[in-house]
Amino acid sequence: MGPVIDARQLSHEYPDGTTAIRNITLTIEEGERVAVIGANGSGKSTLQLALGGLIDTSTGTVEYFEETTDAEDVRDRLGVLLQDPDDYLFNTTVREDLEYGPAQLGMPRQAAARRIERLADRLGLSDLLDRAPFRLSGGEKQRAAVASVLTFDPDVLLLDEPLGAVDDRYRERILELMTAHEGTVVLFTPSPDLVPEVADRVILVGQNGSAVADGPVREILTDGSLLRDHGLRPPTTVQLFDGILDADAVPLTVSEARKYLSREMR
Amino acid sequence: MTGVVGRSVEAITGALRSVFAAERIAASDGFLQRRDPRASLCAVAGLALAVMITRTLAVTLLLGAVTVALARLSKVPLRRLLARSAVVPLTSAFIVLPQAVLLPGDVLVEAFGIAVTDAGVSYVVLFTLRVGTGVALLSLIVVTTRFSSVIAAMKALRVPVALVWVIAVTYRYLFLFFDELQRLVLARNSRTAGRSTVRGGWRDVKRIAGTFLLRTIDRGERVGRGMRARGGARPPSPYDRTRTVDGCDYALVAFAAATVIGSWVIRWGL
Repeated sequence: MGPVIDARQLSHEYPDGTTAIRNITLTIEEGERVAVIGANGSGKSTLQLALGGLIDTSTGTVEYFEETTDAEDVRDRLGVLLQDPDDYLFNTTVREDLEYGPAQLGMPRQAAARRIERLADRLGLSDLLDRAPFRLSGGEKQRAAVASVLTFDPDVLLLDEPLGAVDDRYRERILELMTAHEGTVVLFTPSPDLVPEVADRVILVGQNGSAVADGPVREILTDGSLLRDHGLRPPTTVQLFDGILDADAVPLTVSEARKYLSREMR
Repeated sequence: MTGVVGRSVEAITGALRSVFAAERIAASDGFLQRRDPRASLCAVAGLALAVMITRTLAVTLLLGAVTVALARLSKVPLRRLLARSAVVPLTSAFIVLPQAVLLPGDVLVEAFGIAVTDAGVSYVVLFTLRVGTGVALLSLIVVTTRFSSVIAAMKALRVPVALVWVIAVTYRYLFLFFDELQRLVLARNSRTAGRSTVRGGWRDVKRIAGTFLLRTIDRGERVGRGMRARGGARPPSPYDRTRTVDGCDYALVAFAAATVIGSWVIRWGL
């Protein structure tokens, strides 16, 4: 088990002078579940693009799998899902979009077909496969985009707000797919509520684009002042039990809260 | 932008989007749909080449009839094929129209000192028909064959990868380009009261032109990243959709080859 992503002193400034990320150094180990959280405009998406090798950062390097600093060498092992599904779905039909990654990355057709069928079934896309992506609703596009990144079975998933417009039923299914993924998952989200369901570790990106905290989920998500200082609020259950329970006993998810309450009310 | 310009954007976007509807025709059962995409591509390219070579009205009309026959056999509605193919020849006709009076020949009509000659009219008619038939043939391949199969066929036929790449990327970006324009117009319309005049429409166009350009570039970059994220930096590689080449495929290619030779012989002799 070694680092799958080793980023050193990443900074990126856009041509208009906006500094999106500032001197970020982080290492993600194989099999880790990491959530990168931050307020809107904090630079999460830029960090995702930088880690995914999709932008040339102003400074810094990213090494992948202790092998290379060129993401194209390991493109078939990196699953980068962009925030806007309209940027991700550009083929004439959903089926072609789902086939695009496996075809480009050399996955055998039969294996890809089986995987596409399974994912389409899981994400309710089976009846949409021959539809044009632009004709889908926002949630359907999001599901198609999530399926597109999972079709080629990458070792590392870098997912930028994958649940954006998805309804509750498919939200659960996408979370299950993320949990079931055997490799590394890095989730970029402005929603701390989602984090405990997916991640073991949290990286908090501050509003100036630097990584201001990096630690276990409970440690970061129960630190209300830290989160508020950077434009976020703790998960709903943490807010609910704030001042009632110690930080190490606060339920982080609804199911944990339900368990706690049913135990206490007996 | 509720006026002429807005409607034009709607019409162009709608026309481009009808290509997606064409994917349904490609999925249906018809003569060209049953052909191996390599055979279809070779045959249609051959027929288009024959149209380019010929300078004879009868041959052009014959090739036009072949195009219509192929469309009928492939269950392509002729009205749709005509609608898809009409813009280019009509524009061409408009461009070459002055030849009707510039080319020397027997005078057919004369008015205000301008003489329309038979040679000029023949030239315009023949040119327009040749362009129309060529475009109809290319539309036919697009309508009856999935785009990824066309790309796969081009790769199988060892078309230079740079050309395949350019065609694949252009095809994708064309839709995104007009999609972006339509979004911009919709966003503007949602915050605009009343109907605009033609002049007002053009004024709006000037206003949004810069924004549109920047948005298109930005979107192009983002979609480019979306492609790269899934291996788009590598040459286009759709799954091979070719099937076993059968007798009909060979016959179609042979027929196209014969038309090229025939067109060549009629124009230049043996």
